[in-house]
Amino acid sequence: MKLKEVDRTAMQAWSPAQNHPIYLATGTSAQQLDATFSTNASLEIFELDLSDPSLDMKSCATFSSSHRYHKLIWGPYKMDSKGDVSGVLIAGGENGNIILYDPSKIIAGDKEVVIAQNDKHTGPVRALDVNIFQTNLVASGANESEIYIWDLNNFATPMTPGAKTQPPEDISCIAWNRQVQHILASASPSGRATVWDLRKNEPIIKVSDHSNRMHCSGLAWHPDVATQMVLASEDDRLPVVQMWDLRFASSPLRVLENHARGILAIAWSMADPELLLSCGKDAKILCSNPNTGEVLYELPTNTQWCFDIQWCPRNPAVLSAASFDGRVSVYSIMGGSTDGLRQKQVDKLSSSFGNLDPFGTGQPLPPLQIPQQAAQHSVVLPLKKPPKWVRRPVGASFSFGGKLVTFENVKVQSQQGPEQQQQQQHRVLVSQVVTEKEFLSRSDQLQQVVQSQGYIAYCQKKIDASQIEFEKNVWSFLKVNFEDDSRGKYLELLGYRKEDLGKKCIKEEKPESEFLPSARGTFNISISGDIDGLITQALLTGNFESAVDLCLHDNRMADAIILAIAGGQELLAQTQKKYFAKSQSKITRLITAVVMKNWKEIVESCDLKNWREALAAVLTYAKPDEFSALCDLLGTRLESEGDSLLQSQACLCYICAGNVEKLVACWTKAQDGSHPLSLQDLIEKVVILRKAVQLTQASDANAVGVLLAEKMSQYASLLAAQGSIAAALAFLPDNTNQPNIVQLRDRLCRAQGEPAPGHGSPKMPKGRPAPIGGHPQMPRVQTQQYYPHGENPPPPGFIMQGNINPNAAAQLPTSAGHMHSQVPAYPQPQPYQPAQQYSFGTGGSAMYRPQQPVAPPAPNAFPSTPYISSASSYSGQSQLCAAQHQASSPTSSPAAAFPPPPSSGASFQHGGPGAPPSSSAYALPPGTTGPQNGWNDPPALNRVPKKKKMPENFMPPVPITSPIMNPLGDPQSQMLQQQPSAPVPLPSQASFPQPHLPGGQPFHGIQQPLGQTGMPPSFSKPNVEGAPGAPIGNTIQHVQSLPTEKITKKPIPDEHLILKTTFEDLIQRCLSSATDPQTKRKLDDASKRLEFLYDKLREQTLSPTITSGLHNIARSIETRNYSEGLTIHTHIVSTSNFSETSAFMPVLKVVLTQANKLGV
Amino acid sequence: ELLCCHPLPMSTFLKRHVKLYTYRACVAKDEMGKMVSVINTVDTSHEDMIHDAQMDYYGTRLATCSSDRSVKIFDVRNGGQILIADLRGHEGPVWQVAWAHPMYGNILASCSYDRKVIIWKEENGTWEKTHEHSGHDSSVNSVCWAPHDYGLILACGSSDGAISLLTYTGEGQWEVKKINNAHTIGCNAVSWAPAVVPGSLLDQPSGQKPNYIKKFASGGCDNLIKLWKEDEDGQWKEEQKLEAHSDWVRDVAWAPSIGLPTSTIASCSQDGRVFIWTCDDASGNTWSPKLLHKFNDVVWHVSWSITANILAVSGGDNKVTLWKESVDGQWVCISDVNKGQGSVSASVTEGQQNEQ
Repeated sequence: MKLKEVDRTAMQAWSPAQNHPIYLATGTSAQQLDATFSTNASLEIFELDLSDPSLDMKSCATFSSSHRYHKLIWGPYKMDSKGDVSGVLIAGGENGNIILYDPSKIIAGDKEVVIAQNDKHTGPVRALDVNIFQTNLVASGANESEIYIWDLNNFATPMTPGAKTQPPEDISCIAWNRQVQHILASASPSGRATVWDLRKNEPIIKVSDHSNRMHCSGLAWHPDVATQMVLASEDDRLPVVQMWDLRFASSPLRVLENHARGILAIAWSMADPELLLSCGKDAKILCSNPNTGEVLYELPTNTQWCFDIQWCPRNPAVLSAASFDGRVSVYSIMGGSTDGLRQKQVDKLSSSFGNLDPFGTGQPLPPLQIPQQAAQHSVVLPLKKPPKWVRRPVGASFSFGGKLVTFENVKVQSQQGPEQQQQQQHRVLVSQVVTEKEFLSRSDQLQQVVQSQGYIAYCQKKIDASQIEFEKNVWSFLKVNFEDDSRGKYLELLGYRKEDLGKKCIKEEKPESEFLPSARGTFNISISGDIDGLITQALLTGNFESAVDLCLHDNRMADAIILAIAGGQELLAQTQKKYFAKSQSKITRLITAVVMKNWKEIVESCDLKNWREALAAVLTYAKPDEFSALCDLLGTRLESEGDSLLQSQACLCYICAGNVEKLVACWTKAQDGSHPLSLQDLIEKVVILRKAVQLTQASDANAVGVLLAEKMSQYASLLAAQGSIAAALAFLPDNTNQPNIVQLRDRLCRAQGEPAPGHGSPKMPKGRPAPIGGHPQMPRVQTQQYYPHGENPPPPGFIMQGNINPNAAAQLPTSAGHMHSQVPAYPQPQPYQPAQQYSFGTGGSAMYRPQQPVAPPAPNAFPSTPYISSASSYSGQSQLCAAQHQASSPTSSPAAAFPPPPSSGASFQHGGPGAPPSSSAYALPPGTTGPQNGWNDPPALNRVPKKKKMPENFMPPVPITSPIMNPLGDPQSQMLQQQPSAPVPLPSQASFPQPHLPGGQPFHGIQQPLGQTGMPPSFSKPNVEGAPGAPIGNTIQHVQSLPTEKITKKPIPDEHLILKTTFEDLIQRCLSSATDPQTKRKLDDASKRLEFLYDKLREQTLSPTITSGLHNIARSIETRNYSEGLTIHTHIVSTSNFSETSAFMPVLKVVLTQANKLGV
Repeated sequence: ELLCCHPLPMSTFLKRHVKLYTYRACVAKDEMGKMVSVINTVDTSHEDMIHDAQMDYYGTRLATCSSDRSVKIFDVRNGGQILIADLRGHEGPVWQVAWAHPMYGNILASCSYDRKVIIWKEENGTWEKTHEHSGHDSSVNSVCWAPHDYGLILACGSSDGAISLLTYTGEGQWEVKKINNAHTIGCNAVSWAPAVVPGSLLDQPSGQKPNYIKKFASGGCDNLIKLWKEDEDGQWKEEQKLEAHSDWVRDVAWAPSIGLPTSTIASCSQDGRVFIWTCDDASGNTWSPKLLHKFNDVVWHVSWSITANILAVSGGDNKVTLWKESVDGQWVCISDVNKGQGSVSASVTEGQQNEQ
């Protein structure tokens, strides 16, 4: 296909291969005249711009020359790869002259473009060639057998390759060997070719077929095979190309007889030795394979002869041909459509002919016209066989799973002769590319840990290996999750040791106990008019309120508080308020928060520099159900308000909270996540934290958040890219519907070698039925071939096993002692819950889930009437009912439910750990509770550590009736019976503040045993309430236990009487041997508290396992084996329902411990 | 003497040295730990040069094509090599094969020097020709399926300079769009941009088909890389011309999207250069090239790993190298894939020399 054309009658030379862009130089041809008979001559340079679709060639420069040329070549002399120097143009003139031009100067338009000139030759210089190995060497040939070798570095004195051949003849062609730099060949119209060895300085072989008809018009060496060359004949009687091999030089190896008339020029492609161009007087341009003789291509030409033809050295598909009709044309041998060009070409042709025929002769030179008309095809076909340069020999492509596919092609040239043809193997190699070794080995480790459950050891290893303090901290926090008393350990990590505090407390207690006995004796009751007297009067009349006011007025705070305690709940609360209003000390706000149980206040308004202290307070005080949310809140603050250092510390808060999703978000923000190892860093933590959450919290730890899912699938992709398909499958979350994860899973499964589609019915061996077809988010499944299983591929992995049924997942070992709140039966794990609700001060409502798919019975089970009655009857129930009501109100406004905001956003600092012993229980005088209107701190449950810690000093409220106390009863059905037929309006939200945390992750505080999942959450709860602000249970219990004796009691059944006698006997024995008053007090207290046990024995409400356990303890007491007793005790506590045993078991433990200590 | 009379041409001498040098570098890298290990060797029984070998979406089937005019499909699961199909239909060397996304079934496209593109499909376990596209006037050098999100669209680049786009319209019908004179004297490679919704910050109306902007890159004998974009009326327009190569662009590869806003294209050329082109701006108009390496020989093929972090470069010296961007943004060679083939071809060259 023709690409360009220029109307010149000219010799042509392409710029060397190094040169970019490609230029074509033309020099006016000697011995030819066009119809203008102009004798002007010029040297022109055109640029080949293939991005310009037109046929025009851009002329870069024209130099008017005094010479016309027989030969023009462009050598890369002194050319560097950058193309700063554009080589040298070497022209052979009419009068024995060789002229060197500087093409860059021509292009620049300089006047002085001639580098050098020499006219040593005789006659026209028709033959020129540049040595491709030493580009400063140029061979030239002219008449009289003259051959000169010119050194461009020393142009003045040429050499000869040897003695002139005799008889003298014209040298028409000259060519350097393409493989051996000192071999040169020359040929003459007489038909003889001579090969010269420049090292020997003589002709080494003469090639001739002795036909006398070979008129050599062309000579070319084989580009690859050093001993082969072709000769072309101009003679119409022998229009052939002869292929010679010098190893057998007596006759031509092959003769190509494709032209009908004499051949005027040949050109052998350097890019593909199987392409030899020839043009002849039959007006054909042919491209043939000189190794086979086959014609591969006939260029569509006009009807004119071509006298010069050249391959473009740089663009192997391009050639140029100069024809006698005064045109230089540039062709591509790759064929193609000329549609875009044709019209222009036709226009151009007609106008050219017009210009060519200025005298109206109507025809160009007659001999050039041949009768055959070349048909104009709009489509030009390419070569019959593809040229070498389009035959891609090599290619490596990546495929899924980090595999690299490469193919091998051993290239052997067939022209080397049949004896050299090798048996070729065409193989494809599939290789595994592993670039992230460390990543893979760490991933392996992680998998092993998950399988072996060796989390603590793993965390410890990570801690030991950590180089950065922060990393160490994170792993320490993660490790704590798997240990007993995690909160205590968290505190230690934050720098607060319970033991240390305990020691300090004991020290301070001593003087107090010494002081007590001295208070005995008589005292004077003064009713004088001073403030003391007034207080006395108020006290004598039982007017606590006035007494407290008076004390406050007199700034006798301690007196005021003491009196307020005696004066009842309401008064105490008021007094506390007043006290806090008055007090201005540095730690007031902390005390306020502690007393009011308003941890949110601490978390929300503490100085972020004190995040450790805030976290410590939360760890110490927060109840399990609010604990996570508070940690979250602190983390969120750190993340959003803190500097970069604090931001990363938010991760620690999220670890405490067990909030995987936020940990991911925070971590991602803080770390550069692009590197596989940093993703590995994250995934390790996430996997461990998830495991911890699964162990300690409820089932929805399986739910995978958006961000986590994204990270996990990224991780899986990375693993897959390293060839670890199985591991990738294991880590890929399987309970998400995200299309990209579903697709990745499918891809991984198939990549693992599962049956491919189209091979019979697919079977999924380990499949979990999960129809994909119905998936709403699947991207346009257009045909049935895609994911044809109709099943979700199996998750062979070990983690991320999603559990649709939370109840099934709640089978994790649960210690009944923690059961102070219950998970409702109905929640479905929703991966994304918009908001989290938790309440301060109320125990049961944190489980509320706004997205319950099924309306649970519980919300409607508490109509107003039973609610009120229960509130008045049972001190604890009211709160629980309230909680239920809240739970039933998904539309409750967060704003309305919020507790009074802190007075200002100002942060406060507290002086240090002011935490009281954590596992204290609070009891409340009966009859004083009830809905605490507007008060944010209703009676609270005892705070229970998240795991495995029994609260001590636990005390249930006294007036409990059996249906409520019995957790295994069926209170739900009872309540349902009371349900009115019409929906009951909900009580005002304002009464029961329920703060909302936006964007929180749902959490389940505490699991419940499977058998109880059908119950409303509140009923199995011990009805424990603490007075607001009660710091430690002991101080209050004296007050609290007063009225119990008045209730008439049934006798203890005979079979259990032994328990009472044994325990009381033991206490007596201890009392008699105990020396310090503190112990005695404890024992006294225990004695009283064991009444709860006896009551239960009377009511026969204890389960058989517990009573039999108690009998075992009694037996071990009789044998004085107290440690065995303690073991049994632990067993009972860990296997029984918390609410059943919490009233007396802790006391029993105290007694046993004391007995053991005292050795009674 | 004036002439250098060394028995060997200088260039050959140099080449040998270069080979020795690279070999040594290779050994050093192998000692560092094998990154690339052959896990399967498939003897294809092709009777001539193999020009392409591609795994399917899952990496379980291998398609190969050859100068022997055939296309073969092997099941290579678990290290095996079972010939599934030997597809005959082309009348010239077959240059490339491309697997369609499996959601459309098992479909393979092949392109050949015979100016044809053939689409093969597996029906009931048998592979058959389902469509033949003969709209090109010269060798079809490259075929590439569009991201599956767009439907079944195949881009074909030809030596006739044109690029054609075949879109499956259902019921066995394919609609053809043609970009004429995309690359003068030939298009060598086409590669689609990953499916990215423009302005993903703006909320797409839910339930509606995402408004993808279809783009692909092509490289050709005009030394150019061109980026093409489908406009609102479904016409393909040249969007960008990337100029850095000084010779034919042999291959272009648009990197898979890994969720970053940056678009990346790798290109390789006859000039031995491999460029990494990146575009950070949302409009997609500013592309900057970075030279990955200048090889001593033509570079035929570039291929991104699925995670777009490794580039495999296949050179004319039959060497495959793997490249990775370091933290400071430099591209470093992380591995030479020694196929044992480079040494064979070297010895052949030497054998020729020794004949002299």
